[in-house]
Amino acid sequence: MKITADILQALILILGAPLVRGIIARLKARLQRRRGASIWRPYAEIFKLLRKEDLVPPTSSAVFRLAPILLFGSTVCVAAFVPVLHASALLGSRGDFFLLVYLLAFGRFFLSLGALDGGSAFGGMGASREALVSSLAEAPFLLGLVAVAILASRADIAGMVEWTLQQNIFNISAVHILAFTSLAMVTLAETGRMPVDNPTTHLELTMIHEGMVLEYSGPSLALIEWASAIKFHGMLALLIALFCPWGMASGSSGWEVAVALLVYCAKAAVLMILLSVIESAVAKLRMYLVPDFLGVASAVSALAVIFTTLAKR
Amino acid sequence: MLITLTGAAFVFLLSALGVFVPLILIAGRAKGARRLAIALILTASSAGGLVAVSGVLRQPAPLLDLSLVTPFSFSLAVDRLSAFFLLLVCAVAVPVTIFAVPYFDLHYSEQRRHWTWAFFSLFLLSMIVVVTASTGFAFLAGWELMTLVSAALILIEGDSPERRHNVFIYLLMMHVGAAAVAACFFLFLPYSHSLDFGAIRAASAAMPGGIRAAVFLSAFVGFGAKAGLIPLHLWLPRAHPIAPSPVSALMSGVMLKTAVYGFVRFGFDFLAGGPWWSGYLVLLAGAVSGLLGVLYAIAEHDLKRFLAYHSVENIGIIFLGLGTSLLFLAHHAALWAALALIAALLHTLNHALFKSLLFLGAGAVSHATHTVDLEELGGLQRRMPVTGTAFLIGCCSIAGLPLLNGFISEWLIFRSFLAGSSLTGTKAQIILPLMVGILALIGGLAAACFVKTFGAAFLGRPRSSGAEHAQEAPLGMGVGLWLLGAACVCIGIFPGVVLRPLVSLVQVLVPGAGVPEETLSIARVIPWIAAIVLGASGVVALLRSRKRITRTWACGLPELSSRMQYTSTAFSKPIRFVFAQVYRPDRKVERLPADQPYFPVSISYRSVRTTSYERALYRPFVELVVSLAHQVRRLQTGNIQVYLLYIFLALVSLLTLLRFQR
Repeated sequence: MKITADILQALILILGAPLVRGIIARLKARLQRRRGASIWRPYAEIFKLLRKEDLVPPTSSAVFRLAPILLFGSTVCVAAFVPVLHASALLGSRGDFFLLVYLLAFGRFFLSLGALDGGSAFGGMGASREALVSSLAEAPFLLGLVAVAILASRADIAGMVEWTLQQNIFNISAVHILAFTSLAMVTLAETGRMPVDNPTTHLELTMIHEGMVLEYSGPSLALIEWASAIKFHGMLALLIALFCPWGMASGSSGWEVAVALLVYCAKAAVLMILLSVIESAVAKLRMYLVPDFLGVASAVSALAVIFTTLAKR
Repeated sequence: MLITLTGAAFVFLLSALGVFVPLILIAGRAKGARRLAIALILTASSAGGLVAVSGVLRQPAPLLDLSLVTPFSFSLAVDRLSAFFLLLVCAVAVPVTIFAVPYFDLHYSEQRRHWTWAFFSLFLLSMIVVVTASTGFAFLAGWELMTLVSAALILIEGDSPERRHNVFIYLLMMHVGAAAVAACFFLFLPYSHSLDFGAIRAASAAMPGGIRAAVFLSAFVGFGAKAGLIPLHLWLPRAHPIAPSPVSALMSGVMLKTAVYGFVRFGFDFLAGGPWWSGYLVLLAGAVSGLLGVLYAIAEHDLKRFLAYHSVENIGIIFLGLGTSLLFLAHHAALWAALALIAALLHTLNHALFKSLLFLGAGAVSHATHTVDLEELGGLQRRMPVTGTAFLIGCCSIAGLPLLNGFISEWLIFRSFLAGSSLTGTKAQIILPLMVGILALIGGLAAACFVKTFGAAFLGRPRSSGAEHAQEAPLGMGVGLWLLGAACVCIGIFPGVVLRPLVSLVQVLVPGAGVPEETLSIARVIPWIAAIVLGASGVVALLRSRKRITRTWACGLPELSSRMQYTSTAFSKPIRFVFAQVYRPDRKVERLPADQPYFPVSISYRSVRTTSYERALYRPFVELVVSLAHQVRRLQTGNIQVYLLYIFLALVSLLTLLRFQR
């Protein structure tokens, strides 16, 4: 029964990912007093793209078509790390958070290579900017997770979640607040949301992720979009699991899992509303202010690590 | 003792590389002689691999004592640590030799080829002597031979004044390092009365703390110079790029590792951990080398110099592991010390594999296109897919991506940093977990570097006619590349193969250490992850089959040209902009004619990076030496009476000294 819940939550992360995107787009539209598209539109888009043919530039190599596949494969593997319904996941106790972060890096590496293989200026532009953002985001990402891991004395994500579940909800330490802040900032940067990247733009002055995928079409583009949706959903689920896991199923009977799913949806909804408000209220940062943004995240996460020595006493 | 099979194999290895191959090459001028010599090198390296494997698996006895034929005691032995490094040397030597056969054939004249192979064989021999020496004399002899032969191999490639200058700097810094290494041995002498490793090990426990600290510091400086730790790395980006590619691969892949071997031998085997501050010192040096190495690398567009700077970075990562281990030893946490040492040693092996792969790849690229300038490459993956795919494996490994070997060792270092939070001292408890951030930054920047390099060299459109008409490398080069690539993938997916012997090796060096749980858990989980990633990729790869090749939209222009692509310099610009403080280039813009600044006929732009430590550290030192030399020159008058006076004065002073000693 435990393994069923594990597989179920991985499927929720993978199959529910486009829905998260759709809901956020709808919420943002409402905040801007537009009606917005249906929340199911990302699914329709993926199906439409999957039916089309792949357009490949004549100068590109096998890497161009391989990159989206490997990106998708590694992102699916990330989904097997994150606990959603109960304090366990397929790889949640076997693998640790370093593996999770580096699997994300694996996908990003190949996506950047694919972008460069297109042979146009936009791919290089996007890949170069992505290289800047991601190389600076890795340190706060890991340090934020290290802070939580030190408190829990565990390095596997399932163990960290289990430890947090045993704590009193009102007994939040400064470490948690700092780590959450830095990880939330990293989530914005890693998943290409405002104020680091604008997911709706196609203007070469501003785009990062969109620049990288500009030469892609058809099934390749579908895989890239789906993978980045999974990554986004996975990061949100990770934040929820690490900092607000209360309400997860403790047993594995059917109704407990169903309740946990409802609770998860509620928490995800709160986070999505928060995100769409932030995205509507904040202007995009100038490219060279992004390092400052990530510098703040790094400093906050370093403080979180330093404070663990006080919190443990 | 020499009757055993491994003993015989070891003697064959030494005599083949040291005596037969050079003799055959110097005596015989025929093509057959060279073939025989190459075959001998290959069998000798394979035999060395067998000796090493049997040495790693069980603790063997001393192998070879040559003290009768040499003035000092000279003996070689293969204990577990030596066996591991012997394995590293031989594992890299075989593919590099296979690669070198077509490379040397195509690049050198008949006459030069013989000399190159003779030196190549001696170079391998010197590294094998260094890692298997069991007396100080043998070690220093091998150490010196290694420096001289590699310098000769660099000079065989050509001798322009610039090359000679770089070789001079290389020899100079190597000898400063060698002096420090010799000092380490001689500091032991008053206590051990012999340079035999066993005697040194026995004596070290009884030595006073001050002497132990001096030994540690001088080992750190001596081996740090050889390893290329910043600020002692000055020679590395000068010497490695100008050597022939197979030699660069050996220098970066193997020769630097002999310094790691020496440091582990002294720091862990002889001294069993340094003074309390040693861990912090090594961590600091590792962090600085790692960060600055990768930052200098990203600004490079010469492929081989780029790889040389990455050697500095990876040596930094290895020393991060060693420093962590020393810190744990100082806190008497044997299990964690063992984990960090395993991580450092594994990264040493991994770096040997992927760095020699990358240097060989650079050799194949320069063979095909006659350039290693990233601004003139591009589109090679379509033209040389065999080389390109092997190079991509190397790039992924060095960037520390999962499913490849670089990740395993970096992961182990991350976990040992994390374990630092369980120490009792507050200082270590804070510093070690924070090092996770440093290593993550190094890793992130390294990934950016290799996206840049692989993208600029192998993807997109060719930027020069050389790249456009590139042909796939000859079979031998491909085989050499793929042997190394396969090793990277194997260790990356089944790390247990090397982790198990490493655990038993480290248990000898760190007494009282158990088996770290992390080494077992990573070996269990990585095959699962590989299965999921590759399985999911395979499933979606089946989903899509139709593709249409079509021209990219060029914003209304008739056709995209290679000049519209991002170059390697353009790619790294944002990162160079953010870390501008590190580079501080001297820029010079000249407009001609000078009296018409608004309507220039030509504008020239020059940007030179003189690194800050060069300005702050080396120049004052060089100036001091030169001014001292000027002072000393006053003694040299050229007048014979004055020289006779010197001799007389020396005689008198010696006699007086002897008189007072009685």
